[in-house]
Amino acid sequence: MSTPNALLERNRDPLRLLKVIIALVVALLFIFPIIWMLFVSLKPKNMAVANPLDWFTPPYTFANYTEILMESDVLLWLWNSVIIGVITTVLTLIITSLAAFALSKMQFRYKTPIFLFFLAGMMVPGEATIIPLFEIVKSMNMLDTYAGLILPMIASPIGVIILKSFFDSVPHEVMESARIDGCSNWRLFWNIVLPLAKPALAAIAIFTFIGSWNNFLWPFLAIVSEELYTLPVGIPTFNSTYSSSYMLPMTVNAIASIPVIIAFLLFEKQIVKGVSFTGLKG
Amino acid sequence: MKKSLWKKDLYAGLFLLPFFLAYVIFTIFPIFKGLQMSFFNWSLIEKGEFTGFSQYIALFTDIDFWQSLWNTTLFVILSTPGMIILALLLALLANLNSKLKTLFRSAYFLPSILSVSVISFLAIFILQPYNGFLNNFIQLFGIDAEPFWLSNPVLAWVSIVGVTLWWTVGFNMILFLTALQDIPDHLYEAAEIDGATRWQMFKSITLPQLIPISRVILLLQVLSSFKVFAQILLITDGGPGTSTRPLIQYIYEMGFERYDLGYAASMSYVLFFILLVLSIIQIRAGGQGGRMI
Repeated sequence: MSTPNALLERNRDPLRLLKVIIALVVALLFIFPIIWMLFVSLKPKNMAVANPLDWFTPPYTFANYTEILMESDVLLWLWNSVIIGVITTVLTLIITSLAAFALSKMQFRYKTPIFLFFLAGMMVPGEATIIPLFEIVKSMNMLDTYAGLILPMIASPIGVIILKSFFDSVPHEVMESARIDGCSNWRLFWNIVLPLAKPALAAIAIFTFIGSWNNFLWPFLAIVSEELYTLPVGIPTFNSTYSSSYMLPMTVNAIASIPVIIAFLLFEKQIVKGVSFTGLKG
Repeated sequence: MKKSLWKKDLYAGLFLLPFFLAYVIFTIFPIFKGLQMSFFNWSLIEKGEFTGFSQYIALFTDIDFWQSLWNTTLFVILSTPGMIILALLLALLANLNSKLKTLFRSAYFLPSILSVSVISFLAIFILQPYNGFLNNFIQLFGIDAEPFWLSNPVLAWVSIVGVTLWWTVGFNMILFLTALQDIPDHLYEAAEIDGATRWQMFKSITLPQLIPISRVILLLQVLSSFKVFAQILLITDGGPGTSTRPLIQYIYEMGFERYDLGYAASMSYVLFFILLVLSIIQIRAGGQGGRMI
């Protein structure tokens, strides 16, 4: 970025400082509600706050967190969200990479029609088929089970497409020489192609996990019993229980958000890359 | 070394099978199942008698159906311009030559990773009258007003669109940002040599270069806004009355509150076709955008 040209440009823009200040103010506005949420979760439960600025000043306490984690089902919902998120992510990675490998590196009949068939899935809007999906999962006796929450979410055509294009870029010679050395398809897949596709796998994993962590519509329909609630399904039930007080609901919100915020800060690069993938292909 | 054809097919089939099964059962089969259900009187408990097209015919005279379809359309109309223009402005800010640029990008994108339940819950507490943060904040500046953000139809729409903008605009911002950074430097260098002003460069290099991605974003945005549901359900519950209830919420209520899955399925099918047409348009235009980037 610090090419001579960029430096020249920087010096030439008389409004640069103003623009940076605007960018900074807008950035603060964007994260403000999240910061507010975190501060509210740290305020004593029964404190009355008249001046909005008082939200941000002491006293602080972790009592809300202890209360929520000890006395409500939030810890259970958190656990469900983690389990469902992890299994969904692992299964998605396994089945999409296997399928993408076959489509990219193996010879078989009807390859193009099968690929087009998978591609067509990107046009199927899940929201519009949620009623029959409910009926199908019900007839498989999987409503209100982990399997019923996970399995309908794992067949991601976009994952196959992204991975296939990554696998396609593995040079033909690498594949051929490994084949001549007697590598089986499985070993080619596991030892050679998969390691090279790590960036794509990481992007898909993060996206799948965050998507699952935040998923609302399907768990909302497919879960009946409270022991299976995920965080997004459980959180709204707090509204009716506590709406007069801010602190406990915002604590629940914070508990649901802190893991994804940390994941975001750790994996920002992959997430940004993942967004541009979906934007281009989605 | 040459294996017979069927053996190769078998190997490939083993790799394809897990995805194929999940895909067919949970993505493709529901399309046909939904079609079947839309022709039957189908309750939450059991399948009833064949009704032919009567549920589709009933749709046409169902005012609630038209209102919810209109609400969904209204949401698309109200939110799309902001989703594009604000996204572009944010991308320009995040592309400034500054040490803080990564911070800007992170801040604009951060809300996008939060769950719809979290942002809705946050919105309710910020927007509620008397002790909501927003009203208290307005009053801090001596403005003596107590807007009921969520119980006046116009303000409810303003709130929903505003919250959705804040929540999801970062996604489009990233797409614009990627496109901005892909504009070749030599275009600007050439213009600079020709003595072009910054504004001229923006107008005749940056904006034209962004047209393909803008088309992609526009169509992606319309497609995803047409599926609006959860934030409205959670923030206003479609209210006041049914004035913000979108189509998917009406489908949900028909299926799971009034237990009429057959009718819900036929409405879903109408939605399915609208979305299918939009995504066919998107894929055709997306191909053009993809080449540019």
